[in-house]
Amino acid sequence: MRAQVQAWYGNWLRRRIPPARSVTLDQRRVFIFPTRYGFFYLTICVLLFLGGINYENNLIMGFSFMLTSLFIASIMSTFRNLASVTLVAGQYRAGFAGAHGAVEIRLLGGRRYHRSLWLRWRNEKAQPPREVSLEAGAEDSVWLDVTLPRRGWVDPGRLQITTRYPLGLLRAWSYVDLDHACLAWPTPVASLSAPASGGKEEQGERQHDRGSEDFEGVREYQPGDSLRAVDWKKLARGQGLNTKMFNDPVEGRLWLEWDRLQGLDPEARLQRLCWWVEHLDGSGQPYGVALPGESLSPGSGSLHHKQALDMLALYGQPRREVH
Amino acid sequence: MARVYQVPAHAFRWLALGVVLAVLPHLVSAPLWLQAAAVVLVVWRLLIQRGRLRMPGILLRTAMLFALSGATLWSYGTVLGPAAGVALLVAAFCLKLLEMFRLRDAYVVVVLSYFVLATVFLLYRNALVTIYVLVVLCIITAALIGINHPEAGVRSRTHLRVAGGLMLQATPLMLVLFVLVPRIEPLWNLPSDKREARTGMSDSMSPGEISRLAQSDELAFRVEFDGEPPPMRERYWRGLTYSWFNGRRWSQATPQNINSGELVYRPGDRPPDWYERLRNDRQGEQYRYRVLLEPTQQPWMYALTVPFVDDRRHMVARDFRLLATSEIRDLYTYRVTSWTEMTLDQPLPAWERRLNLSLPSEGNPQARAMAERWREEAGTDTNFANRMLMHFRNQPFYYTLEPPLLGDQRVDDFLFNTRRGFCEHYAQTMAFMLRAAGIPARIVAGYQGGEVNTLGSHLLIRQSDAHVWVEAWLDQRGWVQMDPTAAVAPERIEMGLREALEQQGETDAFGALDGFTNSALMQQLGLFTDYYEFLWQKWVVGYEQEQQGQLLSGLFGEITPVRLAIIMGVAAGSVLMLMFLLMLWGNRKPPLHWWQQEYWSMRKLLVRAGVDDNIQHGPRGMLAGVRAQSPAAAGAFEQWCQMYETLVYARPDLLAEGGGRRKRMRQLRRQVARSLRR
Repeated sequence: MRAQVQAWYGNWLRRRIPPARSVTLDQRRVFIFPTRYGFFYLTICVLLFLGGINYENNLIMGFSFMLTSLFIASIMSTFRNLASVTLVAGQYRAGFAGAHGAVEIRLLGGRRYHRSLWLRWRNEKAQPPREVSLEAGAEDSVWLDVTLPRRGWVDPGRLQITTRYPLGLLRAWSYVDLDHACLAWPTPVASLSAPASGGKEEQGERQHDRGSEDFEGVREYQPGDSLRAVDWKKLARGQGLNTKMFNDPVEGRLWLEWDRLQGLDPEARLQRLCWWVEHLDGSGQPYGVALPGESLSPGSGSLHHKQALDMLALYGQPRREVH
Repeated sequence: MARVYQVPAHAFRWLALGVVLAVLPHLVSAPLWLQAAAVVLVVWRLLIQRGRLRMPGILLRTAMLFALSGATLWSYGTVLGPAAGVALLVAAFCLKLLEMFRLRDAYVVVVLSYFVLATVFLLYRNALVTIYVLVVLCIITAALIGINHPEAGVRSRTHLRVAGGLMLQATPLMLVLFVLVPRIEPLWNLPSDKREARTGMSDSMSPGEISRLAQSDELAFRVEFDGEPPPMRERYWRGLTYSWFNGRRWSQATPQNINSGELVYRPGDRPPDWYERLRNDRQGEQYRYRVLLEPTQQPWMYALTVPFVDDRRHMVARDFRLLATSEIRDLYTYRVTSWTEMTLDQPLPAWERRLNLSLPSEGNPQARAMAERWREEAGTDTNFANRMLMHFRNQPFYYTLEPPLLGDQRVDDFLFNTRRGFCEHYAQTMAFMLRAAGIPARIVAGYQGGEVNTLGSHLLIRQSDAHVWVEAWLDQRGWVQMDPTAAVAPERIEMGLREALEQQGETDAFGALDGFTNSALMQQLGLFTDYYEFLWQKWVVGYEQEQQGQLLSGLFGEITPVRLAIIMGVAAGSVLMLMFLLMLWGNRKPPLHWWQQEYWSMRKLLVRAGVDDNIQHGPRGMLAGVRAQSPAAAGAFEQWCQMYETLVYARPDLLAEGGGRRKRMRQLRRQVARSLRR
């Protein structure tokens, strides 16, 4: 029964506020209701009104009318504080499944200020909401953590944006689906033998000795080069940021291969591959990844690392606009 | 305990100020312990905010609550009733300041301070205090706004501005509610306070009382006439009658064994005979007016003879007085219609005749002897009364605020010895003489005269206008008003007390006031402030059923409940609609620049043509889609994209020029549209 109601409510919300990359809040999308302080306040209004009648005191009665009118004006104000905010899906920060990622929400103000907007995921009640204020026409962005339960694209669900400004007597809110997704890398699971070909890792031994690589020379640093390869001495001498170039290791290129993890289900394979990607990146060794149908040639550096992780995360996932 | 909630510093400033200002008016006349407690608790709270002190524990707070409740009980003898209730509220409210651990407590403090602020109106009702209350309301609202904007680095002034804006938005609706919400009778009786007696009439007249009263400049009531007010000499504001004389003082009296229906009539009840006759016999000039009576703590209402009312809160008494059904503790407004004459053919019942002839069995033998002698010589009652008045006029009687003390035989002493007195002396002497001659007589107490405020054309009646006069029962004429003071000092009746005393060479009594009130400027200023005070009292404080009906029927014709409901609905609805429209208007999107418009037009065009909408990638993201639809359009579209990107990203400085580029982009867009249509 409860599930049914929730499903019906979800459908209704989807019809009323369909998912979109960019949503401007308007009267169709904003809900508003008094808070418990609002009800307390109204009780005081009623008490003052009764007091005004019984003591035949027009001024007390007028005061209660003023409070009531303030309440009504604050309905408008609270609504306006939320309406006409534009929410745009921003970027995401991927994380390992079982841990957290984050997505960015960009907020654009209308011609009026929007103060004290609280953002959180509708499904994650325990998450402390993030507060943001926008002055007229301003733009800001908020990163919200996303719990990543499994590998692949994770939909954090609807975003709840709430405000009680200015008086806290009313709460205006909206549930917005920005068609957000956060990428979850596989959870790294250690495996003793490397699912690799080429290099010594095949034997399960790790190669620590970088000295066996041939130093080839330096070239100008390019984004994505491993920070380990940066020639820090040269930088310290004031000769700019350079990357040391090494020959391929004598053992040849190291490939982490899907096919070498026979007997495991796909997720388990990806988890082990992921562990090795982390491991090799940690020690600064170049590596390549080969999955059925796609591969990433050996390399190193943070860009390469991210490409490798993303490849593992996206394996077998439906295609999705990457932003 | 969970983390203690801290009110943000920018909000706390307003909260502290609002709390202090809301409590302040209550402290002015509060008992000393409450003043001290409020100061200590507020300072304590300030020190907590500064981190110097900690919140007291639950035990200490409970102990303080009991102490404050005990103190209230000790000071007021009760915790009910407005004064004690408000004292307790203020004390508990200040205590609540030391119990702010959560956001919820902060809300409770704010909402309670609204309540405490409203109760200021139990003490003061003038326009200045109302302005004060509105300012404090704005400050408390600013504190509430601050609590809801819990960021560091927010300026406190912003809160005040937002609060002011909200109040301005709320004002029209408030006015509509104030004017239109029906004023109804109190739903139940609330305990109210006994206040200290104020200067004014009392239910008996002892020597020197009226002359003391006459030295007070305090306002007694205001009167607003529907037309012209009667001339000064006819303005006798009747309040109460004294029919019983015990040799020393005159007092109100109700004979025993008389049915109360014989004495008073309450509108709506079955009219008794005497009232029916009174209503049938009324004639002469008719005055309609409204009285705004200052609180007296007494049920007596003042009106011109003979008053008629039709409000059930009032009663008409057989001796032409008006009575309220309860004591008048607040400013009280009522409407009266007075007829100046009666063709009185009323019988005087035996009990009434007896009461109005009663005299102590002995005392004042000289006066009694003279009364008997004169009655024989006069022949008729009327002649007797006239002779009495002539006697006052022709003999050397003086009108003075400071008469010499009278001996035991006060009437004899006054008539034959001192001959100096105030209205009370003349009235009681005349009444005594009439009774001694067998003519029923009584003393009427009230006010005479009144100053016209030319700005508001209403009358001001002060305590210094206090007056007593006499009524005698004459055959064929009924009760006839006689004012012996008018015989002695006609100026008093024609021009007022001050002029009368000046003519008699007596100005000392007003010496202290003279220097101040005599300057023309101050007098003008006095009239001016009185006028605004009058308008305030009349339209705001005293805005009741009657004015409401008058105002509404003036605007909308006859008022029926249905019509009132419609008017209220329409008025409140239109105010709400106006607020709603303002809201939508404020919410509209900022106007677009031409290049933004151009972008949106292009996008709309493409989406309508079925090209994939991909706003994330800017216009160029749609290029592939356009090419798939129509290669011919793609060329123009690419050119368009080029121009757009150049303008928006590379050379925004060219945007201001617009002109040719704008035209060119529009042309390209039309080209794209044409190609896509094909």
